[in-house]
Amino acid sequence: MSVEMVSSLLTPGERVHGKVPVEHLDYDYIQNCSDLRYLEKIVEVLRSGEEGVYPHLTEFCEKRIEKLNPKSRALRKERPPATAADFSFDEWSQISEELKSWETEVKRTEAELREVSPLYDVEDLPPVRGSNSLISQKQNSVPSRTETKRKSALPRDYREWDKFDIEKECSKTDGSNKGKDFPVIINQCLPKINRKLDTAGLTEKERAVLASREREKGNEAFKANDYDEAVAYYTRSVSAMPTAAAYNNRAQAEIKLQLWHGALGDCERALELEPGNVKALLRRATVQKQLGNLKVAADDLGNVLREEPENASAKKMIQEVEKKLRECAQESQSKGRKILIEEVEDEELRAKPGLCVSGESAAAPAERGDMGNAQKKTAGRAEGAPQGEADTHGTRRRGKRGSLDQCRTQEAHEKKLPNGAQASGSGTADQTGRHNSSADNTAASGTGSRLDAPCGALPPPLARLKNEGNQLFKNGQFGDALEKYSQAIAGCIDAGIDSPEDLSILYSNRAACYLKDGNSADCIQDCTRALELQPFTLKPLLRRAMAYESLERYHKAYVDYKTVLQIDVGVQAAHDSIHRITKLLIEQDGPDWREKLPDIPLVPLSAQQHRHEEPRSAELAEARAARAAEGAAKRAEARFSALKEEGNNFVKKGQFQKALEKYSECLALKPGECAIYTNRALCYLKLERFAEARQDCDSALQFEPSNKKAYYRRAMAYKGLENYLACSSDLQEVLRLDPNVQEAEQELQEVTVLLRQTLVASSPDKPRKNITIRETNDSDDEADPSNSKTRQASADDSAERASLPLRPTNAYEFGQVLNAAHSRDDVNACAELLRRVKPETLPLFLSNKLDGETFHFITRALDGHLLQEDPGLVYQHLCHLPAADRFSVVLMLLGQNERQQITHLFDHLSAVESEEFTGNDVRDLAAKYI
Amino acid sequence: MKMSTPSEKPQIISHIHKSLNYTVFDSKWIPCSAKFVCMGNFARGTGVMQIYEVERGEVHLVKEIEKAKPIKCGTFGATSLQQRHIATGDFDGNLHIWNLEVPDVPVYSVKAHKEIVNCIDGVGGLGIGDGAPEIVTGSRDGTVKVWDPRQKDLPVANMEPVEGEARRDCWTVAFGHAFNDQDRCVCAGYDNGDIKLFDLRNMSLRWEKNIKNGVCCVEFDRKDISMNKLVATSLEGNFHVFDMRTQHPTKGFASVSEKAHKSTVWQVRHLPQNRDVFMTTGGAGNLHLWKYEYPAQRSRKDAEDVDMGVAGTLNLLQNITLSTQPIASLDWSPDKQGLCVCSAFDQAVRVLIVTKLNRV
Repeated sequence: MSVEMVSSLLTPGERVHGKVPVEHLDYDYIQNCSDLRYLEKIVEVLRSGEEGVYPHLTEFCEKRIEKLNPKSRALRKERPPATAADFSFDEWSQISEELKSWETEVKRTEAELREVSPLYDVEDLPPVRGSNSLISQKQNSVPSRTETKRKSALPRDYREWDKFDIEKECSKTDGSNKGKDFPVIINQCLPKINRKLDTAGLTEKERAVLASREREKGNEAFKANDYDEAVAYYTRSVSAMPTAAAYNNRAQAEIKLQLWHGALGDCERALELEPGNVKALLRRATVQKQLGNLKVAADDLGNVLREEPENASAKKMIQEVEKKLRECAQESQSKGRKILIEEVEDEELRAKPGLCVSGESAAAPAERGDMGNAQKKTAGRAEGAPQGEADTHGTRRRGKRGSLDQCRTQEAHEKKLPNGAQASGSGTADQTGRHNSSADNTAASGTGSRLDAPCGALPPPLARLKNEGNQLFKNGQFGDALEKYSQAIAGCIDAGIDSPEDLSILYSNRAACYLKDGNSADCIQDCTRALELQPFTLKPLLRRAMAYESLERYHKAYVDYKTVLQIDVGVQAAHDSIHRITKLLIEQDGPDWREKLPDIPLVPLSAQQHRHEEPRSAELAEARAARAAEGAAKRAEARFSALKEEGNNFVKKGQFQKALEKYSECLALKPGECAIYTNRALCYLKLERFAEARQDCDSALQFEPSNKKAYYRRAMAYKGLENYLACSSDLQEVLRLDPNVQEAEQELQEVTVLLRQTLVASSPDKPRKNITIRETNDSDDEADPSNSKTRQASADDSAERASLPLRPTNAYEFGQVLNAAHSRDDVNACAELLRRVKPETLPLFLSNKLDGETFHFITRALDGHLLQEDPGLVYQHLCHLPAADRFSVVLMLLGQNERQQITHLFDHLSAVESEEFTGNDVRDLAAKYI
Repeated sequence: MKMSTPSEKPQIISHIHKSLNYTVFDSKWIPCSAKFVCMGNFARGTGVMQIYEVERGEVHLVKEIEKAKPIKCGTFGATSLQQRHIATGDFDGNLHIWNLEVPDVPVYSVKAHKEIVNCIDGVGGLGIGDGAPEIVTGSRDGTVKVWDPRQKDLPVANMEPVEGEARRDCWTVAFGHAFNDQDRCVCAGYDNGDIKLFDLRNMSLRWEKNIKNGVCCVEFDRKDISMNKLVATSLEGNFHVFDMRTQHPTKGFASVSEKAHKSTVWQVRHLPQNRDVFMTTGGAGNLHLWKYEYPAQRSRKDAEDVDMGVAGTLNLLQNITLSTQPIASLDWSPDKQGLCVCSAFDQAVRVLIVTKLNRV
């Protein structure tokens, strides 16, 4: 029986009442008790000293509690504030130093602050909150808005209509809904966060402060796993002041959101600001790894490890990347897609066209397949069947050249052919060249008996060394491989073997080992030797380029890569690197970086021609024929795009009239092109031909109902035409399609102000504002296919949205719209409003705001506009109107004209025949009014 | 990383201790400076504001300003960094805005309430919070009013009990949710334990909750983001942290509560540089430093498939006892992480340094 059970049996009452019996103040009992609450009580008793002071027992009990729950409240002790004694001397002096330096620094900033004239930019601030509104402290009750000043109320901001929560407003307005619960509200602020900060007029320092504060917010959001929000705040930080830290952090958040391309861009920007930033490199490597650019990732990781050799995550990642790279290497090898430089070549001499000079054209296909295997796998496939034959051809030819060893190699291959792992297929790749070597090696690793395979002109011991080296290299034992190669080279030189090809390969292979070991200098040396022996060989060149690049000798690396490309344009790694180095060089040397380059050697034709030759296959011929057939269509297309291009160029130069003509020609050729319409609309806008601009936008929207450019430009056209209402609804549409369009948001604000001015002050002579129009850019002339889907989806509900602003949901909004219409004397708008309002809710909406003028206004709308269309609705409205507050008072105070109007209304109503009401009904109703 | 190793824990150092000859109610750092303002009540019944500057381990008095009425509370939240005007509430129900350089005449003055202004908060200034600068005051008269310094005499919003309803003493107010030009919320705490959240955009009461004991202090973790967390402290030593991201139709916001001090929790202040770290001050002169840990998922579906929030946990980083009297105010320096000033009813003001906050 456990102690606890005993204790609960013995003293149940006491435990309930919270008293601790003395016998429980005992080491054994405490040791065995696992009831945390009870132990806490014991410790309380012990501390209080009621039963005597037992410091050891107290401590023992505390330890026991800590063991059970280290966070127990009973363990919290009152502590005095920390003093210097709690810190090491260094820590303490650091703390006081920091504080002192902060004091002086903040004094300086404060002095600076004083010098800045207090530019208090009132313009920037939003207006004072509309009215002294009373907010009831009772939930779900009808908010009684007693406005202290009853001036003409401003209409609700049009943007606010858009973000209107109907449910919520309903539950506030409708008295019947009192018991209704609030809907779930998730405070997703994302679409509403302004992505850009207005930093106009701020000093550098203030911007920096702002940027770091926004970054902090981003960090906090990141920690709370709100990655979207974090990105938003980092974006704000960057807009205040671009910093590497903000870009870096945004990259990390984007990685979390798997927005790889955004993250890549951010890493690059961070690196632009702070070259060699380890975090940025690491993150770029992560992204590149995800995007499948393993090589680039490995490069970045290499750079990281050079900076911080102990960086654990980099180490881990580079292992993964290299593993993947190896897998890829094997894969691409078998497919013959890419030259991977890590791979060690066996029979490199085969790749040297200069060696096969015999000129038998019969052997050409096989040769070519061999040489061009980097990009010509289709050719290889097509020739699958006759492969063996072609091979033997080649062998025979080589045999003629008198190289017995080579012949033997070839024979070995042929022997292997029937049972070879790769050769058995459709002959994906030819059996010569590199594939050969890989086949060789796989076989070698399979049997382990091929180490003695003869290599080139090397005597067997040296060949063995080389093969061993290859084997080791494949296994990743670069150091050992290096040794083997070195032995082979030494042996070669000692023996005085005059075989530059073989020696070159050995050097090249050793260079690969050096490169792997990060010994770039020796790698370069070996490559150079290899190239001296065999000029314009691909692999040593590539390796040397990589070594140069890693030593940051970009000029030389650039030259080598360029040379590589002269030999074989299909080497993707070289393309990538050239691209990367060009950027770096531009950064380093400025725009005339090319002048500082050493000469790029011209590769002799003999070395490159094979690379460029196209395989003549039936497929290609067919393709050509098809292409010819397409020619005519293409030409029209070309003419079209040429015209478009010209148009775009004119726009860029600001010659809108000319651009306009070009675009019109474009449309004559191809009338269904949305982008042209939007571009022409831009020209019209620039030329202030707003009506035409609008038409073009309309057509564009026909083709592409959710083209935000078209909406934006139509909004601008409307603005030019001073149709602000339409303008604002178009702008809202733009923002709905893409909430990040800053221009639209700014325009919307501007237009809303204009709209309000026209509505309230009704001053038609307002000076026109400048219209800012974005420039065209060719890139988005074509609709982005990835976006089009979402656009399509969102387009569907756009129709309903547009009508929202006129559909009020409570008395306040109804009043706003009605007032707006009234101040413009826009009977039509009033009729529209009444059409949208349910007659039953009319009294509720009118609440106590009904007065003579409003009444007259409503009757005019009913009579003048609604009666013809929907007499039933008019009747319904008239039925419900008497229920409104103040109706009788208003009726009493009506003037002669108003009464006449009502009489007319009822006359007209009774003249209408309808199923919804009879003449008698109308007469009864009229009695209430007249 | 273990938090339990003592050297890694943040330490609270009492850097400077300064005794005063008046009762101090509130203390606030002047933004972008090493100076702070103490506000209080002389024994002779007048109000006082003193400006102190921190310099090499000491504070020295820069300026003393005496006013007719005792000053209860103050804020720099609605001023620009260039102006740095302080808004104060006094025992007589006045809201004043002072230029501390020229403190003779207030820049703005309004008889805001019928009785003492218990609490004040500002937003839209100092680059914190988008939108217009606004000040909110709460008073014993039961009303909470929002003021725009650009509008004379009248508040821009007034949160008042409906006639016939009991008027509760409003003890604390706080702005939050000011992450764009339109959205903004005010949270108010009352002596009966009511917490009310007013939505200034929709001019409505958005949420209310009773925590049973008088609400001494409420604060959002940040004013200028979509409301994320709210801490409310209470009279009997409990405090609650609400996750404000997900509002359930019936259950409201999820919360975690913690009994921190054995006495009233007078104040809670979030670290300006890290919204998840905050300090609570107790009636027995103690300070507790906390960190909020988010749960793995901040919201989940309830039985009816409605989103509801999930509260996190609280981690006590450090606690110290500073005084025998309640610590009535605490203010983190917005400029220097870990620096804070606090005032206690033992007529003393202290400058504290909290170390290692960047490592929590």
